[in-house]
Amino acid sequence: MIEVKRVTKTYGKKDNKFVALNDISFVVPDGASVAIIGKSGSGKSTLMHAMSGLDRPELGEVVIDGRNILALKQKEVDRFRSATMSFIFQSFFVQANESCYDNVSLPLEIAGVPVHQRREKIEDALRAVELLDKKKSRARDLSGGQKQRLAVARAIVNNPKIIFADEPTGNLDSVTGEVVEDLLFSYNKRNGITLIIVTHDPDLASKCDIKIYIKDGKIESIKNKSESQQIRTKAPIKSVKLKRQAKVQL
Amino acid sequence: MKIRDITIRAGRSLRQAKARTILTSLAIGVGAFTIVLSLAAGSGGRAYTADIISSNTNVKELYVQPKPDVNNDPTKPKKYSTDPTMSYGGGFSVKLLKDSDIDKLNKIKNVESVTPVYLVTVKYVTRQGQDKYQASVATYNESVKVDYVAGSADGIDKKGVIIPDSYVEALGFKSPEGAIGKDVQIAAEKGSSSLVAPEIKPFNFTVVGVYEQSALAVSGSDSLRLSKDDTKALYDFTTEGTAQHGTYVGATVIAKDVADVNDIKADIGKAGYEAQTAEDLMSFIFQFINVLQGILIGFGALAVLTSVFGIINTQYISVLERTQQIGLMKALGMSRRDVGRLFKLEAAWIGFLGGALGAGAAILVGVIGNPIIAKALKLGDINLLIFEPLTVIGVIVGLVLVAVAAGILPARKAAKLDPIEALRTE
Repeated sequence: MIEVKRVTKTYGKKDNKFVALNDISFVVPDGASVAIIGKSGSGKSTLMHAMSGLDRPELGEVVIDGRNILALKQKEVDRFRSATMSFIFQSFFVQANESCYDNVSLPLEIAGVPVHQRREKIEDALRAVELLDKKKSRARDLSGGQKQRLAVARAIVNNPKIIFADEPTGNLDSVTGEVVEDLLFSYNKRNGITLIIVTHDPDLASKCDIKIYIKDGKIESIKNKSESQQIRTKAPIKSVKLKRQAKVQL
Repeated sequence: MKIRDITIRAGRSLRQAKARTILTSLAIGVGAFTIVLSLAAGSGGRAYTADIISSNTNVKELYVQPKPDVNNDPTKPKKYSTDPTMSYGGGFSVKLLKDSDIDKLNKIKNVESVTPVYLVTVKYVTRQGQDKYQASVATYNESVKVDYVAGSADGIDKKGVIIPDSYVEALGFKSPEGAIGKDVQIAAEKGSSSLVAPEIKPFNFTVVGVYEQSALAVSGSDSLRLSKDDTKALYDFTTEGTAQHGTYVGATVIAKDVADVNDIKADIGKAGYEAQTAEDLMSFIFQFINVLQGILIGFGALAVLTSVFGIINTQYISVLERTQQIGLMKALGMSRRDVGRLFKLEAAWIGFLGGALGAGAAILVGVIGNPIIAKALKLGDINLLIFEPLTVIGVIVGLVLVAVAAGILPARKAAKLDPIEALRTE
């Protein structure tokens, strides 16, 4: 469970003061999919950064599984993030010069996973995004959709509890975007991980259990899917089939 | 993150910028090359010197000279003295030893013998039915290493002579062996004879040995070797009646025992002379080699210093280029310390690569150059460049440390990078 309590973040000083997050509070249950929706500059990315401990708001608490990560030391936050969280970004941030295998290996190395345990995890993750045949290819040779699938593999390889996705389909066309969305949601449902998506795309947002609308650093509204749907999400769902590879590469 | 993984990642990102990595490490390589080569030349030089000295000097031997003038300023006039001196150009002169000085030296405790340095000028050497050839004469010294082609020093006391192999053919011998036992004439000019009608007298000597000019011999190479007594006789003949007679540039003192050498040196010093032992001579030359080596190493250090700025520059650029990557790694929970380590290890790789390249090139130069140098300087089997594995490893390790030190600033920049800012960079 993630509890965001009265988080406030300001930039600048005195006259130039700019409130990016203004007294934000909400609760995300485990295994939920959350959309943080807002225009650019609304503070939605800042909120994501605060929730993941990348940023340090001056006020408020972010309590994940009973620990206020904002009160942790930098080292502990780093360790906590490496053990429980992962990220997907709009512009992928895969390492173009590295092989797919090495890209996916990075979170495991950072988390200090022993060498002999890595191969299986990496191959499982690549298999889940249907890139196992590309494991030796360099990331730069992949298409945009493949790169984002690689980023998904990197995000799931260390079995995180929370995945933060910042406009995950922003740089993709609708077909490949949908493939990535399906991947994320199916992983979210199957493994019960919490998925937090920052987006301004209403279609993507509509697929999430909880929609948090942000405007000018404040929560405008929080909308839940109907109770029935929410209960349904707890039940195991068969894996969402990937669209055909050929289609992805369109 | 494990050091192993960081090291592999560091190596990988260097491979991805091959040209830059190699160029940066070449700078440090130049330093490594210079340092390794000068260290090798230094140890080679010392070994060479030790070899020369041990094969040319006797450890029981001391070389004695008069104390130089305190006032040795060539720009000022010097007081007249009746003591004999030898003048060089430019107002420099050295004092000479007299027979009375030799007697004084002889009286010093534990001195076995004193031999003045006889400077003998002879006119020519010849053999019946052969042409006359210019020659120089030196005293046979049993402590000087001599490689005999034929014969030996046996019988040198009985009007014997040892000739260099270059004279064999000139004197009409068919082979070095053929020269043994044959007579040669060495002619000298009587010192007191008049300039207009010089009296030149040939002396008969029997060839007892033929020596090969040794690469290690510093004195008397290419000269005819006579016994001490014969040299003295020639010396007396050529200088008697001149001012030169009874004066010597130096003298060789032989101690009764090696243990007495230092006491004798002190006594000679008290008596007003300067004495050099074989050890002194060696340490003097070593000092000279060390200074030369130090200068060369200084140049190497300068190259290393320059390369330090190269590394700092390269690593700064690398940090800027990889802002996103650093941001991602930090977002994924990589600690500041590990990010810093990643960049320091990259610098270490550059240092290692440069050190290994430079040292390798230096060793290659040594392997190729040693025979060439030995041939050019006629050193025989001597290597003038000696690479000691520990020294080479030490240099490489040192350069790795220097490179890591150079990488500290860029590494700190990388470690301090704000991941949010870094990931915003498009």
